[in-house]
Amino acid sequence: MTPEALYLSPAAKLPYCRGCGHSLVVRQLSSALEHLGLPPRSIVLITDIGCVGLADSLFPYLHTVHTTHGRSTAFATGMALADAILEPQGLKPIVMIGDGGAMIGLLHLVHAAQMNVDITVLVHNNFMFGMTGGQHSALSPLNWVTATTPDGNWTPPLDLLSLLRTAHASFLARRLATSQELASTIADAINFPGFSMVEIVELCTAYGTRWNKVNGASLQEMVLRQGYALGEVETEMERPTFRELYRHEMETVRPKRAQPAVPRINAPAELNDEIRLVVAGTAGERVQSAAALLCRVALAAGLYSTQKNDNLSTQGSGFSLSELCLSPKPVEYTGIESPAVVLVVSEEGWKELEANGTVAACREETILLLDAQIEAIPPRGRVVRLPLRREANPQRAALAAIAAWLEKNPLLPAEAWQAVLALEPAERRAESAAALEVGRRLATGSPDF
Amino acid sequence: MLAEGALAAGCRFFAGYPITPASEVYEVMMRELPARGGLALSAPDEISSLCYCVGASLRGLKAMTATSGPGWALMIETAQYALMTETPVVVALVQRLGPSTGGATQGAQGDVWLAEFSTSGGYTLPVFSPSNAAESFELAVHAFNWSERLRTPILLLSDKEVGMTSEVVDEEALPIPALVNRKMASAQAAYVPYAAQEPENVPAFAAVGGEIKATVTGSAHDFQGRLRKNSPQVINVLQRLQRKIEAHAEEMARVRPDLDPDARTMLISYGVTARAARQAVAKLRSEGVRVSFLQIQSLFPIPRKWLDWAVAGVETVFVAEENLTGQYRAALTPHLSGKRIYGINRIGSLISPSDIARAVQGVTA
Repeated sequence: MTPEALYLSPAAKLPYCRGCGHSLVVRQLSSALEHLGLPPRSIVLITDIGCVGLADSLFPYLHTVHTTHGRSTAFATGMALADAILEPQGLKPIVMIGDGGAMIGLLHLVHAAQMNVDITVLVHNNFMFGMTGGQHSALSPLNWVTATTPDGNWTPPLDLLSLLRTAHASFLARRLATSQELASTIADAINFPGFSMVEIVELCTAYGTRWNKVNGASLQEMVLRQGYALGEVETEMERPTFRELYRHEMETVRPKRAQPAVPRINAPAELNDEIRLVVAGTAGERVQSAAALLCRVALAAGLYSTQKNDNLSTQGSGFSLSELCLSPKPVEYTGIESPAVVLVVSEEGWKELEANGTVAACREETILLLDAQIEAIPPRGRVVRLPLRREANPQRAALAAIAAWLEKNPLLPAEAWQAVLALEPAERRAESAAALEVGRRLATGSPDF
Repeated sequence: MLAEGALAAGCRFFAGYPITPASEVYEVMMRELPARGGLALSAPDEISSLCYCVGASLRGLKAMTATSGPGWALMIETAQYALMTETPVVVALVQRLGPSTGGATQGAQGDVWLAEFSTSGGYTLPVFSPSNAAESFELAVHAFNWSERLRTPILLLSDKEVGMTSEVVDEEALPIPALVNRKMASAQAAYVPYAAQEPENVPAFAAVGGEIKATVTGSAHDFQGRLRKNSPQVINVLQRLQRKIEAHAEEMARVRPDLDPDARTMLISYGVTARAARQAVAKLRSEGVRVSFLQIQSLFPIPRKWLDWAVAGVETVFVAEENLTGQYRAALTPHLSGKRIYGINRIGSLISPSDIARAVQGVTA
């Protein structure tokens, strides 16, 4: 087989209109591949929607992927990353996309450029949507007549190269489809180890030249009048590729994190039936963390637990609460129909429990341990007020409340607390120990609850 | 645990975009996948997330993304592309309260229709729905296995209350189903990318970058993957895409039945509400009410055979789900002819065991 036969089939009947720039690009791409001598199976041609999307069928020996509109670059990025990082075989994705596709998929171009993924994008810019009847695109020049701008386009066109230079694209060029240098520019782009894009300026002979006074001879002048550069433009060509960045990150930068372990101890909890409790307070005051610590201790002591959190969608303001179930058996329903214990350490927490129905769902025997600053009077339940915020500080109040409740209702063995705390980072361990100490002290000085 | 299940299933590529309540899956994959020899990536939007995954899968790797309702809405075009091109991929859809941005931190089971009925042409997207952490693990493995075997996108339909609630899981007791990998094309025989010679109705896979030329297209195509208009092969391919799912429906079915052979009342549920239902059934039985229970894990294709078996002799069926209009009930109704069907529905908070027990007692008393 002759080298050229590996790429564009010599027998291929090109499916494009007479004079369409796509025919030129397809032939120049084939010449570029022939010049590079890349094995056909190392190349994947990813074609977008539009007349350009017919090109894949012309290359019978390349891998071809014909995609959805504008997304060709994103599919190519996935293939390139998977190949470069996980199964390195030197796959070279080449994207063929139109000006319409480049705009609807602009984000994919920006991200591929930003990451410096090793793909080549050929943007076939004929200033309009051809396949769908000659509508204007984001790259249409001013005064360009199209089916949707019959009096001429009046929105300024986008300069793709300028846009992508801002996104740190490593290789950018613009050529006319008729340029003698197109094949070598495409070859340079493909050969470039990183993101490369060539915008190829051409004319749609079905609509573009029919409705506008432009032809092959005057096209260059029109492009230059727009203030657009031709040829390769200056870029950050020395940037590391995504593969290099990723390897560096994985090998040197990324800290090795250990999963929080939960020890098991031989002193089981004394719990015959499940307990459902609510811990509520203010976001950012370690309410959910305190509840999580309690769950880990329960697990260490052989219990099952669930922790269902709620907060506003902002992470550090408003209320924060956890609904817990501690049980000797696996837990099914994770909500709370009527709580056995309610620990509230801030006004915001209390207000949320009023709003979400928890307060109304309390029974006469529900233990309500409230911070002393909360003035509300619960309609029912065994109410205890302790100065948790003042004595422990707001960040430690939730854990202090848990400790106070457990001091009067000793369900979990001290060994379980010790074993779990021993695995906490030193700073956090000291914080937790201080909170637990305050809780126990406050409980000791108060009547039983 | 869903993420752990994906890792156990052999997932090697993940691309994600932040969205409550699916961000946990994203964060776990970003932390764990590289350490286990895979690639986890932050995408600039949900469309890119799924496109990256499909691209990686075309390269031959198992891939997954995770999102919630608003993100899934953006992914639907790409999911259809995966269906049409027969590219395996798993999407974890962790539901929150909709519509639109809805309630980011509130659970719901309101995306059943959005998940299943999201294709032009009305193709069956297999949907698995876990009710707890252990099931999230196990069903993630099944989702990958079926996605590989049938070369089709598969949804894992979780929700905020399953995905973001911490609970104790006995790791040693977790069932790890045997792993399945897509059948690869052989270099020995002439490869026809979209013709299925196998009784499985699924063609062998040629990876982009491999020795065999891959021809992939989302356009209506013949057996060779050529864009065609008036070819009977195109219709054959379009029919096969549905038939391959239907032909494996029974094998894909996953249910947890808890039947009382003398009960005339059946409670059906799935996802997080199945947990309340199980508790409600225990309560009802302790009060002498005869009731059967069926938790459905494989929502689609509807497990017809199990359903017929479970409701034989039953007169009244309740379907409990946390949405307004009884989305799964509507899907089941055509298969429950002759039964009295009631929905137990709520939005904004979990359906409780008491809600369910009251509803059942109210009708059966």
